[in-house]
Amino acid sequence: MIEVSDIVKSYSIGGQALKAVDHASFTVQQGEIISVIGHSGSGKTTLLSLVGGLTKPDSGKVIVDGTDIWSLDDNSRSHFRNRNMSFIYQFSSLIPTLTSLENILLPTAFGDFPGDVRAYAEELIERVGLKEKTNAYPSHLSGGQQRRIAIARAFINRPSVVLADEPTGDLDEEAEQDIIRLFSEMNSALKTTFIIVTHNKEIAGQAARQLSMSNGILTGAA
Amino acid sequence: MKKIKISWLALKNLKRKFIRTFVLLLLVAVVTGTLLSATIFISGMQNALRIGTYRLGADVLVVPEKNESQAKAALLSGEPTSFYMDGKVYDKVKDVEGVKRASTQLFIKPTSFTCCYNVETFLVAFDPSTDFTVTPWLQKKLKKPLADDEVIAGSAMPLMTDDIIPFFGTPFNVAGTLEPTGMKFFDQSIFMTMQAAFEMAEKSKGRSVQPLELEKGKISAVLVQVEDGFTPERVAIRIEHQIEGIKAIASDEVTSTVRKQLAGLLKGILLISAILWVLALLMTGFSFYMIVNERQRELGLLRAMGATKAHVFRLIITEAVILSLAGGIAGIVAGGGLLSVSKTVITQNLKLPYLLPSLPVLSELAAGALIFAVITGLLASLLPAVFASRMEPYDAIRKGE
Ligand SMILES: Nc1ncnc2c1ncn2[C@@H]1O[C@H](COP(=O)(O)OP(=O)(O)OP(=O)(O)O)[C@@H](O)[C@H]1O
Ligand SMILES: [Mg+2]
Repeated sequence: MIEVSDIVKSYSIGGQALKAVDHASFTVQQGEIISVIGHSGSGKTTLLSLVGGLTKPDSGKVIVDGTDIWSLDDNSRSHFRNRNMSFIYQFSSLIPTLTSLENILLPTAFGDFPGDVRAYAEELIERVGLKEKTNAYPSHLSGGQQRRIAIARAFINRPSVVLADEPTGDLDEEAEQDIIRLFSEMNSALKTTFIIVTHNKEIAGQAARQLSMSNGILTGAA
Repeated sequence: MKKIKISWLALKNLKRKFIRTFVLLLLVAVVTGTLLSATIFISGMQNALRIGTYRLGADVLVVPEKNESQAKAALLSGEPTSFYMDGKVYDKVKDVEGVKRASTQLFIKPTSFTCCYNVETFLVAFDPSTDFTVTPWLQKKLKKPLADDEVIAGSAMPLMTDDIIPFFGTPFNVAGTLEPTGMKFFDQSIFMTMQAAFEMAEKSKGRSVQPLELEKGKISAVLVQVEDGFTPERVAIRIEHQIEGIKAIASDEVTSTVRKQLAGLLKGILLISAILWVLALLMTGFSFYMIVNERQRELGLLRAMGATKAHVFRLIITEAVILSLAGGIAGIVAGGGLLSVSKTVITQNLKLPYLLPSLPVLSELAAGALIFAVITGLLASLLPAVFASRMEPYDAIRKGE
């Protein structure tokens, strides 16, 4: 479960304070899929980064599975991310010198991963339908395939929360559908919570709940 | 591969910009190699000087006054020379206060007809009964006293025990060889008894195309060991004061000129090495700053995956260590190879004593060079690594856009 209460993040641009996220509060139940929509620059990525512990809020609290993540020190927060969270970005986030499989295993470099991680990575690669690309390098994958590998990587730590920032941006409709299907599969299999930032109305509509952001102000939160 | 290791990731990262990695590696290799060969070179000369003065064994060398510079040249660079003075000088030197031991030597410069080797040979006759400078450095003790048809060969002479070599028409049997000293005076000389030298000269009149003129009773030098409590300088002054027409050279005086030359050389080499090192440090540091800068987003993503600041720091540092380790090893191999190839060129052209350090010392120097290379890599990547680890993950991911 995610409980966000009254978080604020502002930047000063040319001496002027810009509230990227302005007193946002919301709660997401475990296993819920919610979407965040909003115009460019409305503060969606900033919000995800605050929830994911990547950038510090000026004020407010983020509690993930009972842990107040911004009360942790940087090390503990990193470990917390490593164990409980994953991020999916719109841009290619694979390391070019690593194969698909190695990219999926990347998070294992930073924490304890009990069990046969390699077998699990192979299972994930099958799940995203790219078994034949196991040993391929990112430069030999299409944009959609790269995204699917990044998604497979997001599940290697069996996260309780996945934060996805426009995961289907610049993909064609078919690839988009694949990814949506994958998310709902993972969601039902692992009870993973999803917060998906998207411009795409269709994806947003498929989510259980929809938040919208405008000039840093979040609406639609229950 | 089960889990991914940071060192493995670092290695993969180095493959990314292959040319840059290669150039950096080459840079580290060149600096390490240069530094190593410079230290080996310097320690080789110091080695030779230390052993050389010691090997010379004499505290004072008494030679004819007008032949001082020739004598020094003979001792330092082993340039064959010949000059003579009256053998009575020996008896006078022996009686000077402070002289503990004295022994005579006779320097003979062989003509090109006498020997068939291209190494410059210097014939030195000595007196085995009073000698204290030559025989102590025999590789193996002679089974019996040196006979008048026998010689002892310096280490650089292409001779082995029981070889036969003619001088001025007289064949000699090689009775023993000396250990390498780094002093050409020893290494490129053939030693024989005084008696043998005079007999050889006598016979050369009938046997040799260019006979050897050698007057019985003449000597070239008297080697002196001073008593405890006397400095070589003081005894040298005393000898010069009491005997006419001679020059008494204290051994310190011989090596001090070399030491001065060496100090100058040392300064030069040190300066060049220091400049090279600073340059390498700056270039490597700058490259790592660029590497970190280019990979900001990726490093931010690693942080998002749960990498701690320490993980990021270690990743960058490990890349630098791998790079400098590989460069260092390449430099040591290349430097060592170059040095061993050019060893003969160095020893032949350098007008200074030179003795390659022993294998344990060499490996110590190589290990030192490697540690030095790694420390350089560490230093160069330290600031970039700190910078990389301190970035806020979200900032890093954004900046990569
Ligand atoms: N590190 C930063 N420094 C300064 N301003 C920032 C920073 N991060 C975000 N902003 C500003 O905060 C606002 C919100 O940015 P954010 O990236 O969260 O928007 P977004 O909704 O994700 O937009 P998009 O749909 O284009 O991705 C923008 O006006 C942006 O310029
Ligand atoms: Mg955004």
